[in-house]
Amino acid sequence: MPFVAATRALGAAGLFALSVLRASRPTRDFFSELTREIYKIGARSLPIVAAGGAFVGLSVTLLGYRALETYGATGQVSALLGLGLYRELGPVLTALLFVGRAGSSIAAELGLMRATDQITALGLMAIDPVAKTVAPRFWAAVLCVPLLTAFFVSLAITAGYFEAVHVIGIDGGTFWQTMKDSVDFHDDFLVAFIKAAIFGATSALVAAYVGYHAEPTIEGTSIATTRAVVNASLLVLMFNFVLSALLFRS
Amino acid sequence: MTDLRLERGGRVVLRDIALSVPRGSITAVLGPSGSGKSTLLAALTGELVPAAGTVEVFGEPVPRAQKALLAMRKRLGVLLQGNGLLTDLTAAENVALPLRTHTDLPDAVIRRLVEMKLHAVGLRAAADLFPRELSGGMARRVALARALALDPPLMVYDEPLTGLDPIASGVVMSLVRRLNDTLGLTSIVVTHHVHETMPIADHAIVIANGGIVFSGTPDALAATQDPLVRQFLDGQPDGPIAFDTSRTARAPEAA
Amino acid sequence: MRGPRLEFAVGAFLLLALASLLVLAVASTNGKFGFGGSTYPLKARFSTIGQLRVSAPVKIGGVVVGQVSEVTLDPQRFDSIVTLAIDDRYKDLPADTSAGIFTAGLLGESYVGLTPGGDVEVLKAGDEIALTQSAVDLMQLVGKYMFAGGGKPADATEGTGSAATPADATAPDAPPAAAASATHAHAQEHPSDSPTEPTP
Repeated sequence: MPFVAATRALGAAGLFALSVLRASRPTRDFFSELTREIYKIGARSLPIVAAGGAFVGLSVTLLGYRALETYGATGQVSALLGLGLYRELGPVLTALLFVGRAGSSIAAELGLMRATDQITALGLMAIDPVAKTVAPRFWAAVLCVPLLTAFFVSLAITAGYFEAVHVIGIDGGTFWQTMKDSVDFHDDFLVAFIKAAIFGATSALVAAYVGYHAEPTIEGTSIATTRAVVNASLLVLMFNFVLSALLFRS
Repeated sequence: MTDLRLERGGRVVLRDIALSVPRGSITAVLGPSGSGKSTLLAALTGELVPAAGTVEVFGEPVPRAQKALLAMRKRLGVLLQGNGLLTDLTAAENVALPLRTHTDLPDAVIRRLVEMKLHAVGLRAAADLFPRELSGGMARRVALARALALDPPLMVYDEPLTGLDPIASGVVMSLVRRLNDTLGLTSIVVTHHVHETMPIADHAIVIANGGIVFSGTPDALAATQDPLVRQFLDGQPDGPIAFDTSRTARAPEAA
Repeated sequence: MRGPRLEFAVGAFLLLALASLLVLAVASTNGKFGFGGSTYPLKARFSTIGQLRVSAPVKIGGVVVGQVSEVTLDPQRFDSIVTLAIDDRYKDLPADTSAGIFTAGLLGESYVGLTPGGDVEVLKAGDEIALTQSAVDLMQLVGKYMFAGGGKPADATEGTGSAATPADATAPDAPPAAAASATHAHAQEHPSDSPTEPTP
């Protein structure tokens, strides 16, 4: 039955997540591995996140302007941009870009390690493979996705500023002031980055789980990569709804 | 191994296995592909729990409890078919891995030990290369150096000659013999490369059809008249293991 | 990428990220970092709070001096007790300060506006503000004028629970004026709505 299989898969994934947390120990080697993973999944995701952010900023500003024109409230466009980015677009879009770029590479790398006996070798050397291969990637993701979200939002706001002020013609001072008045530090800014960290954790766990348990063949690695991206994306969108619903105060 | 029966996925892969490997010797485990050689190794390393019978290593049964198993594995050096070198680490860092994880030795001492291990396999110059920069034979030798890092008394080689050219094969096999003798190791070599392995082995067993079909010295192996073993040694396309597989009662594919 | 260069790249990445976080926090948010910067509480009762929510701002003359920290309903008198967290910098508010619930603009968020009186005595932490003006429900007001036709003064003021427009609720052009004065007037001449008046 697919339901039973799905529940078992969920349970296995949960146990895997626990084993990752249990295996995380702050040794010297761990930090050098963490640094390397931050480079691989964080710094190298920067270009796509930055470019994505800029384009999203431009689009939302344009979209917002058109929508607000009907109500004669075009001065609020920066509020729309800021709130939209912090509450939803920033964390979610960054996470989805991250899943596509870094999630797929995590799954592929772990699948490849499985196929080339690296994971087996670690086990036979009495070294916990999860601690060595998965834990650094997990913590790197938890750290990097909020940071990448910061880049995404900065570029989106900057691009939106140029669009609004230099192209559309909204007053610069009003732009910033309206945004500052609408965006709450605790409820919007901090929440956005907490969401981002949760999305990072989820993406990394899903990608790592799928890659780690891939069939040790070339085909297995390729299947794992696809599954990682699809499942992680879905979970991010699902958790986004759950978090937003929980945090929404009317 | 005594009266060992190994199963995978509910199917019996090997039965009635009795094997004794004397300390200090090199034993070759031969057999056609899929005969269960890797399954035998899995029972040895503790990856597979026997369905019946016992496996004893260093006089003790292979443990199932996590901690005891880890302790046993530190005394076991394994060279895997895929090398298993971590792609993000240099050769030296790979060899240093067991030392850093399982000992408290200072970095300088570890560095010297790594140099020695790499020198033993003739690759001290490759210390700072990444696995992707190494040729097949070099990578295999680095993996060997890593397997020897903690000076294990027992070495297990799983198909060490896969994908190597004749010169590299010769290098690896001569290393197996030399290290076994100079370091006082006991070695088990699982392979189907009969002719490269016989010159260096002290004892040979052949596994086929789910059991041991030959056990003896390499000379006895060369002289055997058993048709199945003969077909294997001579590389005959047809014989007890039929060309048309529907006619053979073969042992199930070993995982 | 090896050792030192990798570490440099990661370090640069982290620095840039933290810098952009800081800039974002300062340039795009309302800067209410206040993690319990010292405030003192004042209470005020309203018969209706309208759209007022917790953490809505408290302003004096348009300047934010604190925020709403709690809203509860008195189970005996059935009016709302709103607790205001006023920044310690504004310690000596006169005892006859009045509080009203207003909206910023016609459709904006609700806030509590304080108008200091002239009393020599000051409000101390935990004191209750005596003079309050409840929120105006704009929809009710509009509905009243739309469906009341010629609109008698009694109809106009009944049930809104606030000082809508006591005297001018007669002419059809009263609604805009009423709405305007209701949202912007500091109705000091109207004491806090008594518990006897039914809330709408």
